[in-house]
Amino acid sequence: MIWYVALLMWLIPISGICDDSKLDQVLEHFAQDQQGVFNYQETRHLELVSSPWHGEGLMLTASDGSLVKLQLQPERIIMAISGDNLYYWHPGQNQRHNMPISFGEDAARQILIFRQILQGQLSSLQQQYDLTADTSGQNWSLQLRPKASTERLISAISISGNQQQRQIVIQQSDGESSEYRIEKADPQITAQYSISQLLQEASGE
Amino acid sequence: MPCLVAITLWQIRVESDLNAFFTSTEDADSRLLANLLQSGELSRRYLLVIEPANPINHDTTSTPSASAFAAELVKQWQVLAGVERVWYANQPPADWLAAVQSYAPYYSQVYSLNPKQDAPDLLATDGLAKRADGLKQALLSPQAAVVKQVAKQDPLLLSLQGFKNLQQQFQATAKNSHAVALILQSKPPALDSAAQQQLQTAIRSVFDVANAQSGAQFRLSWAGVPVFSVATHAEINQDVTWVSIASSVAVVLVFLGLFRSFATLHWIMLIQGAAFLVGVLATSLFFGHVHSLTLALGASLIGICVDYPIHILVHVARDKSSPQACVSLLWPSLFMGGLTTVIGYIAMGMTGFPGFEQIAVFALFSILAALALTRWILPALLTRITPKATPLPLVNQWLLFCQQRRKLMLSLVGIATLLAFFCLPQLRWMSDMQRLALNMDVLKKQDQTVREHFSSIQPGRFVLIHGEDFETALQRSEAAERQLLAMKQSGTLQEYYGLFPWLSSQALQQDNSKFYQQAMTPAFADAWRYALRQAGLSVEKLGTLSTAPVSMLLPEQMLQTPVQQILSGQVLATTPEVVLSLWLGDHDPNALQQALQDLPGVRYFSQKDQLDHLAVVYRDRSLLMLAIGGLVMALFIYVQQRSLLKTGLTLLPAGIGTLFIFATWALMGEELSFLHVIGLLLSISLCVDYGIFFMENRGGDSLITYQAIAVSTLSTVASFGALGLGKTPTLPILALSVSLGVGVGFVLCPILIPKKLQS
Repeated sequence: MIWYVALLMWLIPISGICDDSKLDQVLEHFAQDQQGVFNYQETRHLELVSSPWHGEGLMLTASDGSLVKLQLQPERIIMAISGDNLYYWHPGQNQRHNMPISFGEDAARQILIFRQILQGQLSSLQQQYDLTADTSGQNWSLQLRPKASTERLISAISISGNQQQRQIVIQQSDGESSEYRIEKADPQITAQYSISQLLQEASGE
Repeated sequence: MPCLVAITLWQIRVESDLNAFFTSTEDADSRLLANLLQSGELSRRYLLVIEPANPINHDTTSTPSASAFAAELVKQWQVLAGVERVWYANQPPADWLAAVQSYAPYYSQVYSLNPKQDAPDLLATDGLAKRADGLKQALLSPQAAVVKQVAKQDPLLLSLQGFKNLQQQFQATAKNSHAVALILQSKPPALDSAAQQQLQTAIRSVFDVANAQSGAQFRLSWAGVPVFSVATHAEINQDVTWVSIASSVAVVLVFLGLFRSFATLHWIMLIQGAAFLVGVLATSLFFGHVHSLTLALGASLIGICVDYPIHILVHVARDKSSPQACVSLLWPSLFMGGLTTVIGYIAMGMTGFPGFEQIAVFALFSILAALALTRWILPALLTRITPKATPLPLVNQWLLFCQQRRKLMLSLVGIATLLAFFCLPQLRWMSDMQRLALNMDVLKKQDQTVREHFSSIQPGRFVLIHGEDFETALQRSEAAERQLLAMKQSGTLQEYYGLFPWLSSQALQQDNSKFYQQAMTPAFADAWRYALRQAGLSVEKLGTLSTAPVSMLLPEQMLQTPVQQILSGQVLATTPEVVLSLWLGDHDPNALQQALQDLPGVRYFSQKDQLDHLAVVYRDRSLLMLAIGGLVMALFIYVQQRSLLKTGLTLLPAGIGTLFIFATWALMGEELSFLHVIGLLLSISLCVDYGIFFMENRGGDSLITYQAIAVSTLSTVASFGALGLGKTPTLPILALSVSLGVGVGFVLCPILIPKKLQS
């Protein structure tokens, strides 16, 4: 019994060291992608929607921190953040919203997380969430739990991936969840869209 | 004197609230106007715009964006002592959204202002598919959190129909997307300049510190009634300072120039100072405060109060008689002169203009104090001084010329009088009281630039609704809102802030409920469930449309919730009657008045129109007081002189002088206001003094008497002329009226009052 406890005592620091190195390895993946164009597929489980809702489109990120989520299916909708403004444009419903991110709160939460993840904003991720990482060969995963008790919307975020794609699952406190599968977009598709044009369209200028 | 200073300083409270000086509270509308200017919700708002100082070169990578910068400022401004709340102009505050959600259970009662018209469309079965689809989109949108909470209780989102106007109110109108528009609601009344100045300093200080930390990348612009209030107060303070200094210096220079004696000046100024302090003290005790404008106009009284010792000095210097003998000899004329001047000020105080009531009390006590000090103190002060009086040039020559050529001069005056009468029909009266306001063109331009970022709600024009109780008032308000809605749809009204559905009459709630219940057939319920299924929404959670009766939303209860804060400024009174207001954006006033004219208990209120109406009331009263004041003066003079002829001649220089001045204004095309009339009232009361001194001629030598009158005229022109330095239009108007009046009266005295009738 005693040797078992001693072994555990010996192993715990080592496993701590090992956890830190796994976290570092996983976080390295984030630092690599700061700008680019990604295909995404989205599945949302909403309380008032009878079956999972599916959408897909493109996410474009820029080195200045701008991020555009261009939903192409089932219909075109643009949601974007640039600087500290949040934009939403739904041409089918003729609805346009421009607001400071700080005012958007819940609406801005998810897209802010995407920006942090896709643009490798590691320090802000580590400030807001407790991070637990794991690796298995080419695959890695990262669990994020909010640190602040004031975070009332999101209960957990799970990110996993490999060289080709990533999966992000956002669990909300009210039971709703969103899943995203993201991979690098084809360069031909990349050339068709620009962040500045999409931002212009979203803001209505 | 030191005791008087100490008591005055201990007692005095100087008021700077312009409302207290300018706005009457005689009738309900005037009281409403005064109240709105004082503490109205919109009047206490600052409109703030934060934008990059150089938008083209604004570096967003190393400095925060305007939004982030503004967010930080909002947090800091929110905790300032004089701030009620701060919010973004293009987004309702979070607690407003929470209030909207609280109406969800009452959806069947608050979905429409016109249920008979709207219910067939809103509750049509063939529209349910679109409605379900819209709900799903809303649950996927940035508004999902709000919509979800509402939808659980109100699946059709009917309650949000009523609040469509709320979203439109917050549509950003800024052309510059880099700018952030904020609204700051201050706590102090808008016209409490001192408190607002303090708040503005604090707001600016917070901004400057934050901006310095951000590399001075931003600029702050602001607008609002408090901005004008503080600027006006600063200008008036400047006027008070300049006028006081200039009046005193002018009178001192006149005095020194004529009497060449610092010792005499010293005693005379002490008498004037004491008279001034007595006026301040009396006004403070009477009203509880002294207005800063009273002090400015009161400073000009030095030119009147100094007349009494001047007459004594001139006679002592020229007659070589003792001061005591001179005072005893001249006292009846001095007293009557002072009395007629006081009558003029009292008549001015009775015109109804609040500020002049104070000035009347101030003048009454100052003049009485000056007279008393001249009668009982001055002789003792002059026992060791031998005053010398330098004769004013041309005065004696003019007197002698008039006496020698009296018939010719009388003929000329007669012709001029006739011509003046013919000019009178050309007199024009000012109809826009705004022209009496300070010139604030620069500030107005800045105000306009800032307001481009905000909705067009006009603080000075709104719809006023009266009702003996809430139900009546709300029904009338809803009738008015239907008209406003129609005007908005036709383009004659840009926008409005109504009360519906925050407050809704029971009649309307019952109406909404009736049409809702009628629509809730089994077929409708089935169609809704089908639409939900087609849209992929949960039938279990959204499929039940309640038909159970819900309690009425009572306004008294709603005003105990955050709704009270949302509607603050629109519920003007609840007892003894309910008074409500609907705020208006850009509109056609005539079209709006026409649209509302048949609605009982509803009317269009315009602060500007109310002020213009007050200007007409003040004008008519001031003309009446001009006539009454003249008659009272005539009565007192008659009592003393016991001769109708002498009384008439004593008053004639003042009367004809007034006529000439009216004629001059008519020829110049000058638009007259009640201030011009009040200026003339004052000049009449001073001119009558000259007539009294000249007619009574108690010194026995009309040359000496006329010299004394000349010195009086000069000192009055010097002190009242100093008012012309003021930027407040009130002051130059009074300066010109009084200076012209006393000047003409002085010149006419020897023409109109024959030597043989002088005592």
